[in-house]
Amino acid sequence: MDLESALRALYDEKVEAVLIGGAAMALLGCSLNTKDIDFCYQRSKQNAERLARAMAPHHPRLRNAPSGLPFRFDAETIHGGLDFTLTTDLGDVDFLAEVAGLGFYDAVQRASVTMNINGIDCQVLSVAGLIKAKKAAGRPRDLYAIPELEALEELRKKTGLD
Amino acid sequence: MTSVERDALVDLINNPPRGSKLAAARDFGIDLSLFVSSLELTPTERARRLSAAASFFDSVRVIVRKSR
Repeated sequence: MDLESALRALYDEKVEAVLIGGAAMALLGCSLNTKDIDFCYQRSKQNAERLARAMAPHHPRLRNAPSGLPFRFDAETIHGGLDFTLTTDLGDVDFLAEVAGLGFYDAVQRASVTMNINGIDCQVLSVAGLIKAKKAAGRPRDLYAIPELEALEELRKKTGLD
Repeated sequence: MTSVERDALVDLINNPPRGSKLAAARDFGIDLSLFVSSLELTPTERARRLSAAASFFDSVRVIVRKSR
């Protein structure tokens, strides 16, 4: 997984997307490891074109799909679909239209914070947003993450660290 | 992170207030000391650490798969 390059690829093409999930948790200070990178993306036609352009050099293909299955991650596919679980040269990358407990991109973006990663300003779902999303998702692995997130939120409030 | 900030962080982690989310997380089994090593890093360093860990686990997965 190459998180920095994935963020750079989206940034360079001005893709509107918010980093969510385990990678967001790790950037905010959790000790969790994850093998995929999850984004919530904005679903306009223009953003679909940008997203397709950003990912094209990294050879996106459907994860866990039969090898012969025809698939093109182009603007038309993106605009016509919702959630994409991809394998790319940068690792496993998921693009989701909606986040449980928050909604679509605009709501997720409002619940995000800006973080600078090696000169790139990127949107990352906040600790409070992650807690809300994990509670709504409700799977055992989501619920398991909540105590750590709540502790991190308290720690950041009390110390002012980020 | 300054040494004063670090001291405050370590103190909170070692002595989480009763009834706090920190105390609840500790009782749940979370190793709170891991927050220190993580929050000491910049976001860029955290991103690199995550990518390095993922690559390491990927290579372990490949080795395990080959050994079967």
